[in-house]
Amino acid sequence: MELTTARFKETAQVELDNARTQKFLRLLPIRLSARRDAAYRSFADPEAAHAYGHAIRGEAIERLPELLKTFEANAEANGALVFWAADSDAANAYIVDLARRKGARYVTKGKSMITEELGLNDALAAAGITAWETDLGEFIAQLLEKPPFHIVGPAINIPVEQIRDIFMARGVLDTPTIDPVTLGRAARRFLRDKFRDLRMGVTGVNIAVADTGTVINVENEGNIRFNKSSPRTLVCVMSLEKVVPTMADALHMLRVLCRSATGQAAGAYITFDSGPRREGESDGPEELHIIVLDNGRSAMAADPHTREVLRCIRCGACLNACPVYGKVGGYPYGWAYSGPMGQVLTPALRGLADTGDLIRACTLCHRCKVICPAGIDHPATLLYYRHKDVQADPQMGGRGRSAMERLAYWGHAFVGSHPRLWRLFARIVRRVANRHAHDGTISRITRRTEGWFSSRDLPLLPQDTFHDRWRQGAAARKPRKEVSS
Amino acid sequence: MPTVSLFIPCLVDLVLPRVGECTATLLSHLGCKPIYHSEQTCCGLMAFNGGHRDEARRLARRFIRVFEHDPLIVSPSGSCVHMVKQRYAELFADEPAWRARALALAPRVYELSQFVVDFLGVQDVGAADEVTVAYHESCSTLNALGVSAQPKALIRAVRGATLKEWQGADVCCGFGGTFANSFAPISSALVRQKVAFFLESGADLLVMCDPGCLLNIGGYLHRHHPDKQAMHLAQFLADRLPDGPARDAWS
Repeated sequence: MELTTARFKETAQVELDNARTQKFLRLLPIRLSARRDAAYRSFADPEAAHAYGHAIRGEAIERLPELLKTFEANAEANGALVFWAADSDAANAYIVDLARRKGARYVTKGKSMITEELGLNDALAAAGITAWETDLGEFIAQLLEKPPFHIVGPAINIPVEQIRDIFMARGVLDTPTIDPVTLGRAARRFLRDKFRDLRMGVTGVNIAVADTGTVINVENEGNIRFNKSSPRTLVCVMSLEKVVPTMADALHMLRVLCRSATGQAAGAYITFDSGPRREGESDGPEELHIIVLDNGRSAMAADPHTREVLRCIRCGACLNACPVYGKVGGYPYGWAYSGPMGQVLTPALRGLADTGDLIRACTLCHRCKVICPAGIDHPATLLYYRHKDVQADPQMGGRGRSAMERLAYWGHAFVGSHPRLWRLFARIVRRVANRHAHDGTISRITRRTEGWFSSRDLPLLPQDTFHDRWRQGAAARKPRKEVSS
Repeated sequence: MPTVSLFIPCLVDLVLPRVGECTATLLSHLGCKPIYHSEQTCCGLMAFNGGHRDEARRLARRFIRVFEHDPLIVSPSGSCVHMVKQRYAELFADEPAWRARALALAPRVYELSQFVVDFLGVQDVGAADEVTVAYHESCSTLNALGVSAQPKALIRAVRGATLKEWQGADVCCGFGGTFANSFAPISSALVRQKVAFFLESGADLLVMCDPGCLLNIGGYLHRHHPDKQAMHLAQFLADRLPDGPARDAWS
């Protein structure tokens, strides 16, 4: 998948100017957050359930190498084939080669952000193999060639008229309609056909259980269940951090995942696969391939700060809670992952140099941290990345900041280390700023501050600072009144 | 009569000195003796948020040296208090001696409303006014410090004042420090939304505990809704004390 994160601000502007996006964003994230909160209240002790999820994910990432080895041994004992993919190319090559060997002209897919990360559909297409997305939202996004708007609802922002038109154009729909049930039924009929005599299906993985070698998927449409049970060959792609120690851990993570993602106590379909079809079983794939994708995650795990990001379970709750996502939606983030989880994951996987302003597109409001069922401290992570960027850290691909910015912060610290200089500097700032004042209001200063003044004023800076007032007050023991507005 | 060291954020010092004065007034009124170390400058929050940690450390060391002998430190800024209380430890992760000093300092630093309600045990400061107030839950104050009940208790206890429950109270105003300038279109959309919620609430006044939010929301109101007012909690309370706004803060 092409990385367009460097154009964050431009894409954000397009979305800010898109009336439909704005109307949609005013409703959905708030509604989803409310549903999530209500679902959490159904826990006997919501805070304990929340903390328990943090503990499970914390243990998982601390024991990652050992858990993955256990998972591999148990999955293979179940008859699955485990392939360790170092990067996207290795994973794509494995899947393409497998599809060729199995004589698959097309494969079906369950919605998975990890195959978005891989750019799997493009890799398959280049080999002449069609990938059919079978999640309704992902199917629509695929037909429209749109990146996911939301990690849980990839096409959730697409107007129904646009869905009607693309369905008509692609032969999914016979007679134009905007009735959602009819549209859903048309997509189901179209896709159901793909599941008949299916050679190969590809899905992601929500949770992998080390103790049992089981891969678990959560969904609401049943398409993943079809993907897993119909084909002769099933490929499940997981990023390596998806593993948890035990089935009991997995069951708790399912409880917080479903509540955090969609406000459900449980998704409509939860599928547990421990190996391919065995003797005497009526369905299931003949071969189960599990691809464990690294793609930069081992390096993330080596640094205690970035390791924390591997806690993520892709529930999307942070997107719904984020004020910035709530204004610009998923497209500006420019890759498979959006919102706060994308902001902490994408720079670590793709480097700071190519992810532009992503690490600064944050008000540090901390709502993501508060809501995260996996215990990620997104703001602290972003601040760490900013630090690495300032340092031009080669490991993270930091670019360093402009000489102007570095000088400004150095000057700030220098002046701030000398109180008398600090006072002098305050007087200079006041004089410069107030020179631009009209009628007690500052409405612009320089081009560098035009962002602030695009929607806001500043009051005339008062003639005396608090410091001055305190000294005068201490001398005169006399109250002073505000001079400015 | 506890002696309370005033931790005045640079924004308050330079742009909103009245907020600092009102903090002192309020604390004096409640029987504390406010003191002010005139050699204080900046806690390093802006440098830290910008990723410039060497500079932030330089300022943080100075802050620690200036304040570490004070038994009680109070600031009218949730975000600055969060920096000192919770970020210094991370900032000095590789300097155990400074980290220890930062950790020793942290529990003695209070956000103003937190200090008044949790430490002094006061909710009714003796203020009175017939006014309907909406309280803005500043993100650092609410999400990072977990302070929300305290300021609301203080407002509720003002005789004649009504505290509105309103939709959007805990929605971010879009300030975010340099974010407000460098991501201006997003920041502006957020402050516009925040103010729309406030106007819907029907309250006369929007009160908050963070000078950053105040500059942002106040600056937007001044430009677009000059009849509406945003105010720091310290000023809201101090101006409504029986002796009126002119009470000497320094006695």
